[in-house]
Amino acid sequence: MSGKVKEQEAIPVSKVQRAAKFISTGAKVGGNYVKHYAKKIVNPSLNKEELHQNNASDIYNSLSELKGSALKVAQMMSMDKNLLPRAYQDKFTMAQYSAPPLSYPLVVKTFQKYFGKTPEQLFDTFTRSAVNAASIGQVHQATKNGQTLAVKIQYPGVADSVSSDLKLVRPFALRILNMNEKELDHYMEEVEERLIEETDYHLEVERSREISAACSHIPNLRFPKYYDEWSSERIITMDWISGKHIKEWMETNPSQKLKNQVGQALWDFYHHQVHNLKQVHADPHPGNFIIEPDGTLGIIDFGCVKVIPEDFYQGYFALIKKELVMKEEELNQVFYSLDFISDKDTEEEKVYFKGVFKEMISLLGKPFHVDRFDFADDSYFEQIFLLGDRISNDKMFKKSRQARGSRHGLYINRTYFGLYNLLNQLQAEVDTTKPDWLK
Amino acid sequence: METPTVKKTSKKDYRKLILEGFVNHVLEHGTQPASVFKFAKELKMKEEEFYTYFTSFEAIKSAIWVSIYDATLEAIEAQEVFKEYSAREKFLSFLFTWIEELKKNRSYLLSLYADKTQSIKSLPVDTKEFKDKFKEFAGEIILEGKETQEIASRPFITEKYDEALWLQVAFVFRYWLDDRSPRFEKTDAAIEKSVNLAFDLMGKSALDTFLDFAKFLYQNK
Repeated sequence: MSGKVKEQEAIPVSKVQRAAKFISTGAKVGGNYVKHYAKKIVNPSLNKEELHQNNASDIYNSLSELKGSALKVAQMMSMDKNLLPRAYQDKFTMAQYSAPPLSYPLVVKTFQKYFGKTPEQLFDTFTRSAVNAASIGQVHQATKNGQTLAVKIQYPGVADSVSSDLKLVRPFALRILNMNEKELDHYMEEVEERLIEETDYHLEVERSREISAACSHIPNLRFPKYYDEWSSERIITMDWISGKHIKEWMETNPSQKLKNQVGQALWDFYHHQVHNLKQVHADPHPGNFIIEPDGTLGIIDFGCVKVIPEDFYQGYFALIKKELVMKEEELNQVFYSLDFISDKDTEEEKVYFKGVFKEMISLLGKPFHVDRFDFADDSYFEQIFLLGDRISNDKMFKKSRQARGSRHGLYINRTYFGLYNLLNQLQAEVDTTKPDWLK
Repeated sequence: METPTVKKTSKKDYRKLILEGFVNHVLEHGTQPASVFKFAKELKMKEEEFYTYFTSFEAIKSAIWVSIYDATLEAIEAQEVFKEYSAREKFLSFLFTWIEELKKNRSYLLSLYADKTQSIKSLPVDTKEFKDKFKEFAGEIILEGKETQEIASRPFITEKYDEALWLQVAFVFRYWLDDRSPRFEKTDAAIEKSVNLAFDLMGKSALDTFLDFAKFLYQNK
């Protein structure tokens, strides 16, 4: 997977073939488990790390060949760091960068379909091969009148295959995420909704404009300009932002001051969206951020935007307050409204889950409890990770047939984990601002 | 069966009139005309006059396939990048453009070939001439691919590559006829994926290296 992205080899065509692909992976994963337990009989001290490693590469190999929504799910899982054991994470993070490119004739054809012209006729220059792969499309670089542009082209047929792809992923998600079926369906709907939105490029342009305008006052942020005349259902043209992704940027050894500046811009960006706009760029994976040499943070790709419903917002952030000064009754109310517990639970379950969620929330809320938080602190992330691992392996948790947590929480959690994770990669210390009512 | 292409130059208008008349008839009635006599009458021609241009309906259908092919070639050669394409890209470009040309005649093609049991006999007959022309085109691509090492030369098998590409054309046509996705996006995806597979198979692979090694072992025992 290193270096240049390889041209795609045999891609499964029909749904049947895609299903077959998944089944063969399923068999492999099953095989890995068998191997694991066989080895374990011989050597009881064997830990699960190796098993996860094997599973992760088999699953990843299968997913990366499927592209589109399956890849998206891989990305999503790689974001939810608390849910996934380490080995899965590393493999899946790769999915965020490498998907095989579309052929140039198809790019030409797509242009002809929507503009009646070839890319060469439309722009002064246009790169023959993709410079970047996005999960459901790829990016080419173009110039027009001396301006450098990024042109994103969606893979054909992605929009149509979202639902069937998700059905294919389901059995895997069940196994990997350690969830029961009810719980999964509860979230799958939400995922499907977001993914279908993501294939709508008109909506993306609209939202990008809206959010960039609303965030234009935040210092050290840059948003590309979007061009309607070269955008359509399957193509988006915007300004090219030149700079480095976080990982590469960190390799240039930026000063702590610059790191904090970028981190602060990132925090402010999310703060404003969540608390003021109530809709948020819910895809904080490293590929969507570009750091310019002067430490300005460029934000691209507004494909995934989550609108936060007001009642969910109130409940969710009320929990993050420093001291949970709420009375037991009030707290119960919030837990009920966020679907953490329900009437179907036994008393024992209620007590257990309330405890778990309180612990989780107080840990995740930590950056909110102080005025300034150092995200370079790896031990904090270790704690989150350990807690996630402990909870997902807890018998009580596995046994429960209930879906836990509001579906809205899925993307909000993902956003915050993503944000924390990016800040950690940046080794930044930021002023963790919060709205007045939370102080 | 043979089309009198010689006549094409002398009185092109009549030829065109017949082709258009035939397509229109199929579009409006859903089938081809009952007989040449009836069809000629429709066109206000004498039957014997008709035979100077075409000898049968099969010849007309064949000419329509060829005209679609010609239009496709014209369209791709008009694109400047086409010359710079690799063999794989040339073939992709051909199929994408061909599908666009087919789209202009979709209703006509559906009326004639949607029924699988019937078209299994008629399709090979109607497309014979198109196939010959296509194989010339495919031959060029394959030759070029071999020069650039994109396609591996394998004794006996390489000669059949044009046939393989033809099968692919047939596959794409079938797929497209059944495609119900908006803007035929699925056909685009099917073309992309199947061509990539075909060229990956034709390209140098581990199998060649294996055969080479096996041959070495066998000869040096």
